[in-house]
Amino acid sequence: MSRVNGSGSQDPHVEVSRVRLRFGSREVFRDLSCDFPRGAISIVMGGSGAGKSTLLRLIGGLLRPDAGEITVGGDRTSGTSPAEVLRARRRLGMLFQNGALLDSMSIFENVALPLREHTENGEAEIAERVSARLASVGLEGVEALLPRELSGGMLRRAALARAIVMDPEIVLCDEPFSGLDPPNVARIEELLRDLNRSRGLTLIVSSHHIASSLRLADQLVLLQGGASICGDPGELSESHDPRITEFLGADARAHVALRAAAEAKA
Amino acid sequence: MKALVARLGRACIGFVSGLGAITRFAGAIGVVVLTRPWRFRSLSRQLYDAGALSFVLISASGMTVGMVLALQGYNTLTRFGAESSLGAVVGLSLIRELGPVLTALLVTGRAGSAKAAEIGAMVTTEQLDGLRMMSIDPVDYVATPRALAIFFAMPLLTAFFILFGILGGYLVGVNFLGLDSGTYLASLETSVDFRDDIVAAFLKAGIFGMLVGLISTYRGTTCTPTTEGVSAATTSTVVTASVCILVSDYVITALWGV
Repeated sequence: MSRVNGSGSQDPHVEVSRVRLRFGSREVFRDLSCDFPRGAISIVMGGSGAGKSTLLRLIGGLLRPDAGEITVGGDRTSGTSPAEVLRARRRLGMLFQNGALLDSMSIFENVALPLREHTENGEAEIAERVSARLASVGLEGVEALLPRELSGGMLRRAALARAIVMDPEIVLCDEPFSGLDPPNVARIEELLRDLNRSRGLTLIVSSHHIASSLRLADQLVLLQGGASICGDPGELSESHDPRITEFLGADARAHVALRAAAEAKA
Repeated sequence: MKALVARLGRACIGFVSGLGAITRFAGAIGVVVLTRPWRFRSLSRQLYDAGALSFVLISASGMTVGMVLALQGYNTLTRFGAESSLGAVVGLSLIRELGPVLTALLVTGRAGSAKAAEIGAMVTTEQLDGLRMMSIDPVDYVATPRALAIFFAMPLLTAFFILFGILGGYLVGVNFLGLDSGTYLASLETSVDFRDDIVAAFLKAGIFGMLVGLISTYRGTTCTPTTEGVSAATTSTVVTASVCILVSDYVITALWGV
């Protein structure tokens, strides 16, 4: 990992250390290291094929690296112990790019699924919790609908409700803004910020949506050439490193300045 | 020549590793079957899908096969003056061989391919990864109820195939060819042995059900997450399961005379 200001992150919740990964002849990560601080919003950025979604899948233990180690709150998701991976996953929720809701089940059944599988809660308690989570993402009255009956933005929010229903410590969000119109992007952005502030969730978000990322992130992780460059949005937008300026573009400073002004006003 | 040997070697390694992977998958299903929670609701839904919805196809096919058997059998038996044995010929052919094998091939085409495609589509849309991230094992939640449903449905559907086949044979033999009803039924009754024929037919059906359930769910869960991958998984299910049914049919018959 290289950091633009040279310092390591404080209290890492997720640690990725010297990860190497190949898909056939294509090298995705070459000695990738990066930390994701506890309670922060980290946004993983990079061009197409840089490995943003792959990094999230590695953190979630859906893929195993060829070398290196990934720990989630101290438990390795890169190891071979299924018990350790399961323990780590209990701390994780994941929002997939297309929602990944079970299409044969209603929205209610989808959100209730982890509760039914992993808790002894009664039906009334489950119904209450599902309704609360759906309300917290701004979805009410959709419980009986099937995933295919929802719009893209609503689907993403329903999937987010499922991801947080077990109160995880960390939520991985794979491209939550892709394919959404600006009002829906703003809505998801607000939801993620709210989840981070109100619940203290650690959010690791993959995105190529630069404006949203600069507005939302506490830490940016830029993936390039199989390695990472980390820093906060201010640091990265001020950087003269061509790898960073080329990706973030000329408007980066303006976005960061707008965010600073909005935060000062708030 | 060297390239040919290399290709042969790669094919052999691929075959053996595939065999190992499907054996591990079968082991995982075995563990799920023996441990709680048992997903009866999901199983009954899958049983309805694989079994009840295949009923019309199986009954119609069984009846047609029985009718053809009666026609062909009658023409052959007449040459030897043994047309009174038509019931035995139709019954034994259906019970010992055609019932289990044709039912298994039909279930492979209807339910097996559908299960592979369904699970493959779930892989493509990351639904199985979604389950993994919720610490829910897709083998337990998705594959096992589907594999078990095919396993349980197969003997029942085989029974219906045989029943409708015998009925078809009766209709052609008695109503169309003018054979005496009592002769047809008596020859059937005296020639069919419960243990050697009927139990053996269900044994075959059970083995075929296990193979089709296992192959279809394995191909679905291991499919490449693309549209082409789903299509390949479906085709591969039909081809692999059909070959396995025919080969295992020979092995069972050769070993146990069933």
